[in-house]
Amino acid sequence: MRDKNRDRLRERLNPTLPASARAVVVGAGIIGCAIAREITRYLSDVVVLDKENDVACGASKANNAEVHSGIGEEAGTLKQKLNVRGNRMYDDFVAGLGVEFKRQGLLIVVTPRSVPPEVTEKMGPKELDELLRVKIPEGIVAYGKAAGIEGLRVLSREEVLKREPNVTPEAVAGVFDPNYGLVCPYKLTIALAEHAVINGARVILNTEVTGIRVEDGEVKGVITDRGEIATGLVVNAAGVFADEVAEMAGAGGFRIHPRKGATLLFDRQVTSEYVRSSVALFKMPGMKKERSKGGGAMPTVEGNLQLGPTAVEVEDKHDTSITAEEIEEIFERFHYLLPSFPREAVISAFSGVRAPTYEEDFVIEASERVRGFVNVAGIQSPGLASAPAIVEMVMGFLHGLGIPREPRPDFDPTRPSTPRFAELDDRERKALIRKDPRWGNIVCRCEYVTEAEVLAAIHSLVPATDMDGVKRRTRTGMGRCQGGFCGHRVAAILARELGIPVTEVTKSGDGSPLYLGRAKDLLRPGRASHG
Amino acid sequence: MGKARKPDVVVIGAGPAGLGAALAASEAGARDVMLIERDVELGGILPQCIHDGFGSIVFGETLTGPQYAQRFIDRVERSDIEVKLNTMVLDLRPDRSLTAVNSRDGVLEIKPRAVVLAMGCRERTRHQVLIPGYRPAGVICAGAAQRDINIEGLMPGRRVVILGSGDIGLIMARRFTLEGAEVEGVYEIMDHPGGLTRNLVQCLHDYDIPLHLSHTVTFIHGRKRVEAVTVSRVDEDLKPIPGTERLVPCDALVLSVGLIPENELSRGAGVLLDPATGGPVVDERMETSVEGIFACGNVMNVFDLVDYVTHTAEVAGRAAAEYAVHGARRRREALAVRPGRNVRFVVPQLLRGHDREVYFYFRVRHPERAVRARLVAGGMPLAAKRARMVRPPEMVRLRADPEKLGEAVSRGGLSIEVMPEDREPGELSGKVAPEDQEPESLEPEDRE
Amino acid sequence: MRKKHTFTCVNCPLSCSLELVEEDGEVLEVSGNECEVGRRYAEEEFRDPRRMVTTTVRVRNGILPLLPVVSTRPIPKSLVREAVKALSNVEVEAPVQDGQVIYRDILGTGADMVASRRLDQLA
Repeated sequence: MRDKNRDRLRERLNPTLPASARAVVVGAGIIGCAIAREITRYLSDVVVLDKENDVACGASKANNAEVHSGIGEEAGTLKQKLNVRGNRMYDDFVAGLGVEFKRQGLLIVVTPRSVPPEVTEKMGPKELDELLRVKIPEGIVAYGKAAGIEGLRVLSREEVLKREPNVTPEAVAGVFDPNYGLVCPYKLTIALAEHAVINGARVILNTEVTGIRVEDGEVKGVITDRGEIATGLVVNAAGVFADEVAEMAGAGGFRIHPRKGATLLFDRQVTSEYVRSSVALFKMPGMKKERSKGGGAMPTVEGNLQLGPTAVEVEDKHDTSITAEEIEEIFERFHYLLPSFPREAVISAFSGVRAPTYEEDFVIEASERVRGFVNVAGIQSPGLASAPAIVEMVMGFLHGLGIPREPRPDFDPTRPSTPRFAELDDRERKALIRKDPRWGNIVCRCEYVTEAEVLAAIHSLVPATDMDGVKRRTRTGMGRCQGGFCGHRVAAILARELGIPVTEVTKSGDGSPLYLGRAKDLLRPGRASHG
Repeated sequence: MGKARKPDVVVIGAGPAGLGAALAASEAGARDVMLIERDVELGGILPQCIHDGFGSIVFGETLTGPQYAQRFIDRVERSDIEVKLNTMVLDLRPDRSLTAVNSRDGVLEIKPRAVVLAMGCRERTRHQVLIPGYRPAGVICAGAAQRDINIEGLMPGRRVVILGSGDIGLIMARRFTLEGAEVEGVYEIMDHPGGLTRNLVQCLHDYDIPLHLSHTVTFIHGRKRVEAVTVSRVDEDLKPIPGTERLVPCDALVLSVGLIPENELSRGAGVLLDPATGGPVVDERMETSVEGIFACGNVMNVFDLVDYVTHTAEVAGRAAAEYAVHGARRRREALAVRPGRNVRFVVPQLLRGHDREVYFYFRVRHPERAVRARLVAGGMPLAAKRARMVRPPEMVRLRADPEKLGEAVSRGGLSIEVMPEDREPGELSGKVAPEDQEPESLEPEDRE
Repeated sequence: MRKKHTFTCVNCPLSCSLELVEEDGEVLEVSGNECEVGRRYAEEEFRDPRRMVTTTVRVRNGILPLLPVVSTRPIPKSLVREAVKALSNVEVEAPVQDGQVIYRDILGTGADMVASRRLDQLA
């Protein structure tokens, strides 16, 4: 077992490409990994490629974890259709993966600010009250019904405040949408990738696609910085880079313009009960051009309050920065909706880059010009929610392109997951420590992560090989001290397990070393120590 | 395993506070004292504070952090205190029972008669001060950098910008420099330095490291590793002034932006916290709002001097032992000691008894020259000391003897205030005995 | 020739800005000080400023890779950097006792460098 782990780690760090594969998925985000997992239901010979040092390194790691219902989408779009369907499919989608999914619901709050002043000014108080209390909530419910979203309920002011006591007392009415769910997007991506690996797929990281070989209008192979894989099927799930990958094949025609979204995350201990469901302020359509979905307060699966995200057009597809203006905007926006939110309990801020096209809709198509090339592009929010339906649609194309329609008899429907010490009871903890004492060695003091969990992450089917990889799998460094206590501990374990000096441990792959040499090295020029 | 352990006293945390408390409890007659530490060795933060300046009040000489710790560690090793290293307390409950875990014993159920909270503090991170920018490797808190360099022997940066002029930031500026790294500068958002003058002189001036007051870091550049930071001047409201941005190339940003008492376990036990200190509300015996749970050191509030930490630890340890041995006495009603003029907070916050001398620790709100700090009861000053200068970074300590406290308790209406010296000549009732007066100023010392 | 030197007194929170005037090494005047301690400090800082040296040295077979060391007395300020640099080449063998002399007479200053903690051997 240990040898097998070592081999897998070696291969992970220095991958060799197979000469050929039945299908190659470009991009190891949630969409790419979900498609690969689905392909393995029918055949095992599939490869997922990504240029980063881990799966879920793009938008999949930096979104708000919400599984939307579709209520926020424009009627008649592919987005709305796939979102509504995807939401319904979610329980089956995550089954067997060992990933927590819960439907916390969404509370849409209606306040006087839901309507622009130019509209309210012309209204009498009675008319306005009727609009806010009755017409808008009922309108939302009707809009949802038309899209096939079930279970929407109008709430009175009292019901709104009872459900979410921290919401602004200016609330007039609300609508509760029970379909909204929460899932940790990167944990889901990791689980899907591992599930695909269990069923024969290969996930090859640190490998950049530089070209697509097309001959006589047919895909023949994928060219990378590590060599070429011959294949007749390529799924382009490259997120913000999907337009560039499509161009490589001559199967483009859309442009991704990056749009950044920043989110603030709060200390779990302070905010675990702050909101029970997602909460959003209703804004009359057309009040503000917010093309990308999102913008609310919600708990994470673990119970941290999240506020955001923003929506800022950026030029650089790598721009995952957060500006002072964005932070201010989030604070301002939520100060109204949740007047008492604990500003000082922020423990983290992160930012992701959405991948919209100019049409703002999903682009899911089997290329008409290049046979064997499938675009899954323009996937932004509600991409996480739509993922199951996107996969279903893509499989329709892939079956037409030669993926067998008959499922494999030997498909393994489950992916084993490592227990989380923090979530176990004392009896379970004792049993684990008896078996392996490393379950008793707490590495991360804030999130109670044990050495055993860190080891499991490093020796998993898609091994974590950097600090962020361990963090995403185990939550080390995600607490209030943000790695102050566990940083050097995790780094030491990574160094030991990867067989590298600790000075080569990185935060997020090449170019991100944690340490720049050892103490004394700078005082002893020419005598720098190694190892 | 299985049955719960029932020691007299459990001390959580084996830094200077926990070491002092465990020794005091043991010496005061507690039979089983268990000292629980999550790190691999005793001493807490002290082993990494290799500079000197510790101990002038407790030992009458200046020691390095490791030396200061060693003196206590040696005593603990000679005592019959049970030390549990690599052991994490997961949960502390209002009935003082607690759950801890380590690799050797597994899950430990412990039901001590008394508990001393000595968990210390943690560093404020970049997100708590919300520095915009990317999230690359190379953004690190000063204490963590100190550990990397002095304990692990690893360099977290070679060309460093330091944000915050607290003592740890200043000390790390010198440490990085001595290790051959370049410290481009120390930036401080306030218009005055955060650390002690001695550290400004000996850590910055001695090495020609510039200190930029009224400046802050407004952007962190670099996707993978820090490549530069943008620094900006700030206005009186501490808001960055547009147009003053300057790009500073560097490979690490070291943060010394504050410490937070670590009270997650205290909260779980239902211990009442003081918003002004971030730590438990305690009485003169360092007992918290939960009977039998005591607190000491930086878990109460962040002290500047380790000597003060040790002093509170001795009080807490002794009181915990008394509680464990003699059992709960009926608690007398507590009198609040309120912060008065130019006082931000006072520790201890409550006074119940007057059977022993009490040191009150407090910080002022703003600098003031030529003052008299005094304990006032019902409008009557009872104990006082003079100071030529008081500054917010430097904690003030005021001693009150049992006699004075007896009077205080009978009068009620207690507060601590800082008054200009010249405004009330001879206003003190009676004479201030010499022993009531501490030296006029604090010894200049490094903080942890 | 007359020269002015400025210092910041470190002896109390007043942090007096001191100005020392000298001529050919002879102190003529100290100003800005509020007390005698400040005057003495300015003269010391001018004539012979000294500092304690604290740094680390490498350890073989120890439970930790580095050992903190401290000078037995202050050495001239101008020699601190050089002392630390000289010590960067030193490596000691664990176990080390608290107070054990690690380096004698650093840079001829008469100060020894001693271990400032006990450091056990790796089991």
